[in-house]
Amino acid sequence: MWLMKISYTILLGFLVILLLFATTTYINYQQSEQIDASNEVLIRSGVVLKHSNRFQRNILNMVSGLRGYLLTNESFFLQSYDSAMLENDQILQELADLVEDSTSQGHLLSDIHTLNESWIEGLAKPLILARQQANKSDSSMKAFNHLYHIKLVAGEERNLNRTLQNRFKAFSNNEYATRDRQRDLLNATIARTGVISFYLTLFSIIIGICIAIFLAHHIASRISRMVRMADSISGGNYEVSMTDHGQDELSALARALNHMAKVLSENISLLKRKNAELDQFAHIVSHDLKAPLRGIDNVVNWIQEDHARDVPEKVMEYLALIKGRIIRAENQLNGILSYSRVGRGLATKETVDVHALLNELREDMPVRPGITLEIQPGLPRLFTEKLPLQQIFTNLLVNAYKYHDKPEGTVRVYFKELPTVYEFYIEDNGPGIPQAYHQKIFVIFQTLQDRDAFESTGVGLAIVRKILDDRKLTIRVVSDAGKGAIFVFTWPKNG
Amino acid sequence: MKRIVHILLVEDDNLDAMDLKRSLDKLGLLYKLEIAKNGEEAIRTLDSRDIEGNSALDLIILDLNMPKMNGLEFLQILRGNERWRDTKVFVLTTSSENEDRRAAAEFGISGYIVKPLKLNNAGSIDAFNLMIDLMNM
Repeated sequence: MWLMKISYTILLGFLVILLLFATTTYINYQQSEQIDASNEVLIRSGVVLKHSNRFQRNILNMVSGLRGYLLTNESFFLQSYDSAMLENDQILQELADLVEDSTSQGHLLSDIHTLNESWIEGLAKPLILARQQANKSDSSMKAFNHLYHIKLVAGEERNLNRTLQNRFKAFSNNEYATRDRQRDLLNATIARTGVISFYLTLFSIIIGICIAIFLAHHIASRISRMVRMADSISGGNYEVSMTDHGQDELSALARALNHMAKVLSENISLLKRKNAELDQFAHIVSHDLKAPLRGIDNVVNWIQEDHARDVPEKVMEYLALIKGRIIRAENQLNGILSYSRVGRGLATKETVDVHALLNELREDMPVRPGITLEIQPGLPRLFTEKLPLQQIFTNLLVNAYKYHDKPEGTVRVYFKELPTVYEFYIEDNGPGIPQAYHQKIFVIFQTLQDRDAFESTGVGLAIVRKILDDRKLTIRVVSDAGKGAIFVFTWPKNG
Repeated sequence: MKRIVHILLVEDDNLDAMDLKRSLDKLGLLYKLEIAKNGEEAIRTLDSRDIEGNSALDLIILDLNMPKMNGLEFLQILRGNERWRDTKVFVLTTSSENEDRRAAAEFGISGYIVKPLKLNNAGSIDAFNLMIDLMNM
């Protein structure tokens, strides 16, 4: 059971991934620093080797220059010796900068420096001096030859050269070894960094996928459950509930949904009970009121039947008025009973041929010889509740007949097909209904006729409205005083 | 030779009772009418009649809507007692009491009379004819 809040989990997940990427970046940055450092070492080492090679070449020049001068006494040789010697001085200085004193390279360099000094001071300079002096006298020539013999022939120079060469070899080898070491180190570092980066990236990807899967499952599945529950509720089932024992935001939502469903369920139950009570109330009241009405009617009848001669004419008139009111009261009670019964039947569906249905209703219309009923051909066949639809047509048609004010008239029934519903039109060319009363006529007992003049329960349109309201369908009237009326109601296609 | 038809009317509304009497008079029936206001009273009347050894009851006319014990409860007790199991019963009913009439039929009634009483009412005619026949036996 994942107890952390979803927002924190998401944040944490992203932080982890960011951390991994930051680490990868840092490692790669470090590696580039190392490459830089390595490069420095290699460059420096290259310069050192270059200098060292040049130094050795210069020594050769110095040797050949010296030898040449000693043999030929040509100053040309001395010049090449001098320039080589000067360049080497410079090189030694530069090498001293490049090489650290404390290392073995440093020791070798100081050896080389010492050897170089002894070669120049102990060997070359005395010989050159002696040679310069040699032509001046025999003894100087002798001294020179003697020196020449000691230094060069006897092997001092050779030994010095060899020692120098060895030092240089060691020096160069060290430098090469350093370069190799550096290269190996660098390659190892690069390899290691590559491996670490690879695994870090892989790890990041895996973590990313895990987080995504976790969130998807943890969040999406619960959201789907809530959506299903909400769909259930809108489908009319209020008894659903979700179990969610967590503490995060979705759990709070689930608990809120549960609570909402419970409240809805209670309210709907309450509504249903109230509706049932109301229906029952209307039924009982209208029923129980009929008995005393019947009693009154009976007594009036008995008076009219048995005592017509004893009773003054005026009183008989009054009795007739009483009878009229009784009839009206009975009509209204019947109207209430019918109205309260709307919606009680079972919603059984069957195939209904609207055309056939309307033709059957012809017989039930009030007797009005001048009125023609025209039914549009091609009225649809529906799979729907027959009785409510029949009731609507009956009430609307009966009204059209009953309220028609001319000796001749037409009542037309036609329809229009819309995407999800049919619109049925009942049109008459009777007296019409002024705009002001278009809402009022659908209210129970609201009749626009003289109450005395007309036998009407006053519930016909109210019943039509109730049937349509219960099914969330609509009815409207297009009419004006003196211009006939069209009643339009909707009915779903195929129930 | 006409005989007097003995009728027990179980009805609480006195106007409805008057209406029945007028109809029976118009019918030309010779009758003796005893009236009980409700089911309990009717049972007491039946009991005392048996004890006193009065002449047999020809039929009971029963209103279904009554205070205290209603018509169906009365029928249940009536048919539960072997003395009265075969007594003819007609129920007084308004045109809208279909469920009650069906329930009453389960207790073996002989027919019904429709309120408000009209002699030419198709539903009530059987009852009236029977009463005439009883008178003419």
